[in-house]
Amino acid sequence: MWHEVRGLKDEVDFGTPPRDGPPVTLEIDGVMITVPAGSSVMLAATKADRAIPKLCATDMLEAFGSCRVCLVEIEGRNGFPASCTTPVVEGMKVKTRSETLKRLRKGVLGLYLSDFPQSEIPDGWSEFHETLKAEGITSHPYGEAGANHFDAKVDDSNPYFLFDPTKCIVCSRCVRACAEVQGTFAITIDGRGFESKVVASQDQPFLQSECVSCGACVQACPSHALVEKSLFEGEYKNA
Amino acid sequence: MPNPIKPEKSVITTCAYCGVGCGFKAETRGEKIVRMIPWKEGKANHGHSCIKGRFAYDYYNAPDRVLTPLIRSSINDPWKSVSWQEAFDYAASEFKRIQAKFGVKSIGAVSSSRCTNEEIFLTQKLARAVLGNNNIDNCARICHSPTQFGLTNTIGAGAASQHFDSILQADVIMVVGANPTEGHPVFGSMMKRRIREGAKLIVIDPRKTETVESAHCKADVHLAIRPGTNVAILDSIAHVIVREKLYNEAFVRARCEVKEFENWMALVGDDKYAPELIGPIANVDPADIRKVARMYAGGPNSTIYYGLGVTEHSQGSTGVMCLGNLGLSCGMLGREGVGVNPLRGQGNVQGGSCLGSWPHVFSGYRFVTDYATRSSFEAEWGVTLDAEPGLRLPNMLDAAVAGSFKGMYIMGEDPVQSDPNQHHVIAAMKSMECVVLHDLFLNETSKYAHVFFPGSSSLEKDGTFTNAERRVSRVRKVIEPLAGLQDWEITVKFMNAMGYNVSYSNPGEVLDEIARLSPNYSGMSFALIDRIGSAQWPCNVDAPEGTEVLHREKFPRANGLGTFMLTEYVPTSERTSDRYPFLLTTGRILTQYNVGTQTRRTPNSLWHPEDLLEINEQDAVACGVRDGDWVKMSSKFGQIELRARISERVNPGIVYTTFHHAKSKANAVTSDLSDWATNCPEYKVTAVDVVRINAPTEDASLDAERLEPAE
Repeated sequence: MWHEVRGLKDEVDFGTPPRDGPPVTLEIDGVMITVPAGSSVMLAATKADRAIPKLCATDMLEAFGSCRVCLVEIEGRNGFPASCTTPVVEGMKVKTRSETLKRLRKGVLGLYLSDFPQSEIPDGWSEFHETLKAEGITSHPYGEAGANHFDAKVDDSNPYFLFDPTKCIVCSRCVRACAEVQGTFAITIDGRGFESKVVASQDQPFLQSECVSCGACVQACPSHALVEKSLFEGEYKNA
Repeated sequence: MPNPIKPEKSVITTCAYCGVGCGFKAETRGEKIVRMIPWKEGKANHGHSCIKGRFAYDYYNAPDRVLTPLIRSSINDPWKSVSWQEAFDYAASEFKRIQAKFGVKSIGAVSSSRCTNEEIFLTQKLARAVLGNNNIDNCARICHSPTQFGLTNTIGAGAASQHFDSILQADVIMVVGANPTEGHPVFGSMMKRRIREGAKLIVIDPRKTETVESAHCKADVHLAIRPGTNVAILDSIAHVIVREKLYNEAFVRARCEVKEFENWMALVGDDKYAPELIGPIANVDPADIRKVARMYAGGPNSTIYYGLGVTEHSQGSTGVMCLGNLGLSCGMLGREGVGVNPLRGQGNVQGGSCLGSWPHVFSGYRFVTDYATRSSFEAEWGVTLDAEPGLRLPNMLDAAVAGSFKGMYIMGEDPVQSDPNQHHVIAAMKSMECVVLHDLFLNETSKYAHVFFPGSSSLEKDGTFTNAERRVSRVRKVIEPLAGLQDWEITVKFMNAMGYNVSYSNPGEVLDEIARLSPNYSGMSFALIDRIGSAQWPCNVDAPEGTEVLHREKFPRANGLGTFMLTEYVPTSERTSDRYPFLLTTGRILTQYNVGTQTRRTPNSLWHPEDLLEINEQDAVACGVRDGDWVKMSSKFGQIELRARISERVNPGIVYTTFHHAKSKANAVTSDLSDWATNCPEYKVTAVDVVRINAPTEDASLDAERLEPAE
């Protein structure tokens, strides 16, 4: 009933909300782990100390399955299911690391990297930066000439946080935090495909939107696209 | 954009704003707070936050923060900066002089719900053990004292029966006179989460609040009652429950005093409370009253959350009793998903309420007249204590005007702005010879103070807060106190200057003393809270890690049974007339907090730069008022000027404003009536007139300039 909120831990991100169903035992990379039914493979892997890289998943939000970084191999199943949207099943055998998975993740992360401001890669410390580091992704094969979002304008209308769309990976964590955690539904994804972008209300500056500045989206953002102004020196201090 | 700079350290602490009491990780770089991140393991907030706790913390660093003690011999003199010792000595000598001349009882103390439990406990210890009388009160007097009285007399404990998470198992949520999405936003989000899962929502409130309708959250029934008719409407709901036999007889027989239940049935079952008669009085559709009664009684799990819209009335205590009666009659107490729960306005109202900051009771609501209780305190404190209850804050002010009350120690309160009938409060302040104010900033009250102790913000001290669900959480020092001393140290040093010898090496020792002297807190300690994060009282040998849901087996009354109070509806004498045709009611907004001392010093004012008068279009047309016009609002008690906003949130005949800004002085117009049982002021109903004016008078704009934050 309330495990989703009560089971959260400060220093761990299980990737998907904790559940409280009856115990289910499965095998992850040879490690046996028992978790409540309804848990995701991603949560089980985190508990088995085999954390799976992820971008669009975080344990305060329901699984979404959009970033395709958390793919795994499951014995007896075709393809490479996303571990965040795959519930655990008794006796399931999961492989979180393999040469194929490594290649797939590298391909996906390289695409994200190719549309991220390159100058902001070296000293970043967001989840996105940490994931790139952990997977050893330092470059991508797509060159500099392709389409990108580098010219998108920063929205610094809110006195407390800013939105830098150039760093947005459109994982929808902010959209879902606003809906699921705060319940205000002020943020959405506008457009389709490469045109997709995060907008507040009717594509308004945050300050003029229905946003209530609860900070849930900022906390949920994995790439510092939404970030507290107080973390910057200088112009954004007490803006 | 460059990358943000990573914080260096973090400390887990508790937000000091509203009664939700969210856990936060305060992150610092050097001696500067750079971010507040909601703590995922915080049991009140589970990693969520609102604009106030998350972002509006910079008030601690405001340029007008007072950093040195101030004294002056007359309120007409300028302030003089002095050392801490000089300030303690001066205040102590003045208090001693006054007591020698006017008697021991000519001085009192007031504590605040923004203080920690330890500070509140020390302040009442100062009054009782050092000043030698029981003239100690706290600001819960003006908000939730009827909760204490009304719930104790029905279900036996003047506190929330549940923990917040309980709402996730509720099927019917009834919100009475509260607006959680604005006033208690993090709890409001949890409530909305449950409503999206299918729980039904009933809202009883004169105003169509944000809680009534928002994205994916709409009240099934909204009773937009006429202000002042709470008791009538709740009795009418009870009437339907009785007449249609919707009550839970098995529960009543097993858990309640049956005789009292029958008396109550006879009262509310009377024809005069039929929805068809009460509907027109309260201005709601009788069918909706019946619908609410059936929905609430039908549950299966129905829960009540209420706020100051219930308590701040001349029948505030009766209104709370109505809610207690409802919970008992339908068996909606003693398990998950049900309950009767006050939503506390300030961070530590529950702590302020249960730690003995009252003129008649010690911590744990035990009477000062009781010999055994008093003896236990005398033994611990080593002094003889006064057996006679002291003065309540309104009585202290009355006595000051009458000339018998001459000095006051006010910790973290601004009575001139926040208490009703401002003119009377000012007269009282002016007639005192020594007012000692302990606060962060000079405020409306400091104009009449003689000594100012510069306090520490909650980010600069250690202690505990007790939130609206009885949860005791740690406040931890994130940065060093800017004025040099933590608040608890200031009170202790003042006690020492008054000649009372006591010392504590840290506030954990004060909590230990609280635990020794207060049954509900007997298991509390810094060590316990550090180990399990937080604990809800009662916390004792039977419940070593605290108690989430009260009343599971029995009610904390002598015979263990819940009881029913007779709740006859008596209309308030404050009513509209030809001269004052509108009813004014007041409330809060998300971005500002109370009288705004903290939030007005942050960019939160971008969202709410001024208090506005909400008025229905129909009334506005009749008064010739357009959206944005300046209006003068007057009542029998005073008048204020503010701008009007035409709004569908209020019905014709009702006007509404917030009380966050000193310049609009909303409490200058509110009535001087108060709750019959507890003196809690009737802020929520005042007959007023509204007249359009061309521009604010010079006085109002001058005030505005002086009091607005320097940004």
